[in-house]
Amino acid sequence: MPRIWSNPEFIRHRRAELRPTRAITVGAVVLLLCVLIGLACWSSQQHQLSNLQQAAEQYGTDAWKHRLDVLQDNFVRQTSLLFFRWLVGLQAVTLTFWTLFSCAQSVSGERDRKTWDFQRITRLTSAEILIGKLLGEPVLVYFAVLCAAPVTLISGLAAGLSLGTVLSIFVFLVSISMFLGLGGMWLSTLLESRTRAVGLIAALALYGFTLGFFNFRDSGLPGLAAMSPLTGILDALGETGPKISPVLFNHPVSWLLMTLLLCGSFGAWLWLMLVRNLKRDYPEIRPLSRWEAVGCAAFLNFLIYALLSPIHNVGFEGRVGWFDDGKSVALFAVAMNGLFLFLMGLTTLTPQERLKVWRRTADKSALFADDGLPWPWLGMSAVVAYALMVWGLLAWNHTLPLEATTLQASAIRLLLVLVFVTRDVLFLQWCMLTRLRQPVVKGVLFLALYYMAAAVITGLAAVTSEHAARFVLALLTPVQVFDPEIRGLAFPGMTYAGLLLQIGVIGVVLMAINSRLLRPMRSGAAA
Amino acid sequence: MIELMQLRKEYDNLVAVDDLTLTVPMGEIFGLIGPNGAGKTTTIRMAAGLLAPTMGRAIVAGVDVAKEPERAQQHIGYLADFFALYEDLKVWEYLDYFAHAYNLPEGEIAGRINEVIAQVNLEVKRDQLIHGLSRGMKQRLGIARAIIHHPKVMLLDEPASGLDPKARLELRNLLRALRDQGATILISSHILTELEGFCTSIGIMERGRLVRSGSIEQVTAAATTTRLVRLSWAGDSPGLAQEKLKSDARISEINLGSGSGTFRFSGSEEDLAPVLAGLVAINVQVTSFGEVKQTVEEVYMKLSTHEVM
Repeated sequence: MPRIWSNPEFIRHRRAELRPTRAITVGAVVLLLCVLIGLACWSSQQHQLSNLQQAAEQYGTDAWKHRLDVLQDNFVRQTSLLFFRWLVGLQAVTLTFWTLFSCAQSVSGERDRKTWDFQRITRLTSAEILIGKLLGEPVLVYFAVLCAAPVTLISGLAAGLSLGTVLSIFVFLVSISMFLGLGGMWLSTLLESRTRAVGLIAALALYGFTLGFFNFRDSGLPGLAAMSPLTGILDALGETGPKISPVLFNHPVSWLLMTLLLCGSFGAWLWLMLVRNLKRDYPEIRPLSRWEAVGCAAFLNFLIYALLSPIHNVGFEGRVGWFDDGKSVALFAVAMNGLFLFLMGLTTLTPQERLKVWRRTADKSALFADDGLPWPWLGMSAVVAYALMVWGLLAWNHTLPLEATTLQASAIRLLLVLVFVTRDVLFLQWCMLTRLRQPVVKGVLFLALYYMAAAVITGLAAVTSEHAARFVLALLTPVQVFDPEIRGLAFPGMTYAGLLLQIGVIGVVLMAINSRLLRPMRSGAAA
Repeated sequence: MIELMQLRKEYDNLVAVDDLTLTVPMGEIFGLIGPNGAGKTTTIRMAAGLLAPTMGRAIVAGVDVAKEPERAQQHIGYLADFFALYEDLKVWEYLDYFAHAYNLPEGEIAGRINEVIAQVNLEVKRDQLIHGLSRGMKQRLGIARAIIHHPKVMLLDEPASGLDPKARLELRNLLRALRDQGATILISSHILTELEGFCTSIGIMERGRLVRSGSIEQVTAAATTTRLVRLSWAGDSPGLAQEKLKSDARISEINLGSGSGTFRFSGSEEDLAPVLAGLVAINVQVTSFGEVKQTVEEVYMKLSTHEVM
């Protein structure tokens, strides 16, 4: 267990960021803000009370008097609750935002200042550096939250909330900010010093992305909403609107537990990627090993079936859900696996130098080598995903009926998706062998351009006939496999034509990679 | 001890370091010379475990850098050519950070910090923020950081850049003292004359390859096909000496002026004695006679222009 409080990296940040004068200033500013917010809340409640008094005097009805009595009796409690909500809200925004952004600049900032190598060469392990940075980079905001904590605690208790509720809000804040900090740190390791501005934009996008998870509350996977900083806070403060609970294997659980489970498990993957790569030189970074990537794909697939909520109550529409039967779940799982396999491919792209060494030294048995091409491992991940799909669909059979042909049709769909993803990942691997700057980013942009072009060509073909459009779509994209009209195994011939075409394209990309790997080398530059 | 075995580094289709094999015995100061892009920094970074070699192994103080990087790095003191410090820390805080990062025993840290601060002459700046130090002081603090953990091996990439002449002299003395304490030092520099003064051996890199290595005498001797001999005599006329020297087939490029001159001799050092004796025998009043040793700079220039390979 790393010694957190004697961690040299944490102590460095604490010394630099929390010199006595600055610490006293921050503490004073936080307390002043607390007083101002408290006064504003008191004033707001006082204003509401005077309005009620006026109304009660003006109309003189029992209803108004009753409302006035209730407010007068609960004045301190209501004011404290308002104060508590403001404090928690402000702390949540500051803590999550600051943690994410400071961590997103940690490693790239060190690279930029040319201090990173000196940390890498010390005895500090990756885990120690990671803990030191995670706790140290945002140490100022942690201190500010710590200064506000007693006030928050007292106001929460004065508002009638239980100690457990108040503490659970703090646990939620800490876990979500740690998770965001890990995300920011991961972004930071992926960015070279010259792309710090891109890092900040990416951090902003990540923040927006996690906030966006809030909308999953009404989806077939409501548990994913727990990844949003909003969900747990609003739930704890009783502001979620219609009560929706996340489910785990169809059993309702609390938002806090779901947040801890998701942030913990996704955070563990981020931790693994960081510890694996933190002390590596930038071009050597490869997020996951091949086996870890297969494990990650399996974990993501497992989540689909664990968090699935086939039916839930929504307002006046009664029992409504995303999924009606096993086929809809299977279609969703195949679509998600397109994304999972692509992400897996991205995380396992082999650095150019390693791939060259593999090509020079590899024999045929080295197809699954860690430094080889990623396609065999994509295939393995797809097999694991399919096995989990079979398990998941059979497990949910009691609620979501499964047709006999669904599993076979899903196998073909998954195969088609796998072929397209393999083509795209191998294209990105080829980009890494070129002299493009930021080859993966540019490769992804090229792929986006390709799919846009495919959409335009499909649109032009649609002018001729719908059949022509479908044919083009089947040849160039995997969209056709998600057609719910296809019954059983009756995929049209054009789908298989598209499959064969893409296998041919994969062959061409493999040849291009091979020719790049066999290019002659030249010796170093002279003066 | 530093052992680099068939070390190779490739970038794209460029070989930055090409099958470099080098052994620096314990207690030696090895100077690595070469033009920009020769692969010096890449070699040092691979030896430090900061850069993974494409092929080959680096063993430092008996530890394989690729297999046990953290154990190897405990023995390495590293200084990069361009670097920065944590400007928001005080001088002692900076060294305290690295002392803890290198896991020095808690009880020794305060004393060791004072010791290295004294070694680099920064006592008066001990409690000041690094932000306010001059460039030379920062360089000295960087050196202090590199030696804080008593490393057995020092890997220094252009350590003298940014130092004033006095500080350079102090650096040389410090490195000599470290060598005397048993440290092995691999140092790269463009300032060849500086390396010549205190390196026990040198290596010349060109296009990723180590084209010459050994003691300074060995390297200069190996790069020499003929010896340049300087001669001076009493009196003005070179006639007698000229005639005598011309008669020896091993002598060429005779360039004698008024009272002094040079010639090239293709024999061994021992063979020079009869030449001197011959001149004396014909009554040339020789006042000085000796081989002009080549400097490392001259050897380096010859090698880099492929005059000698």
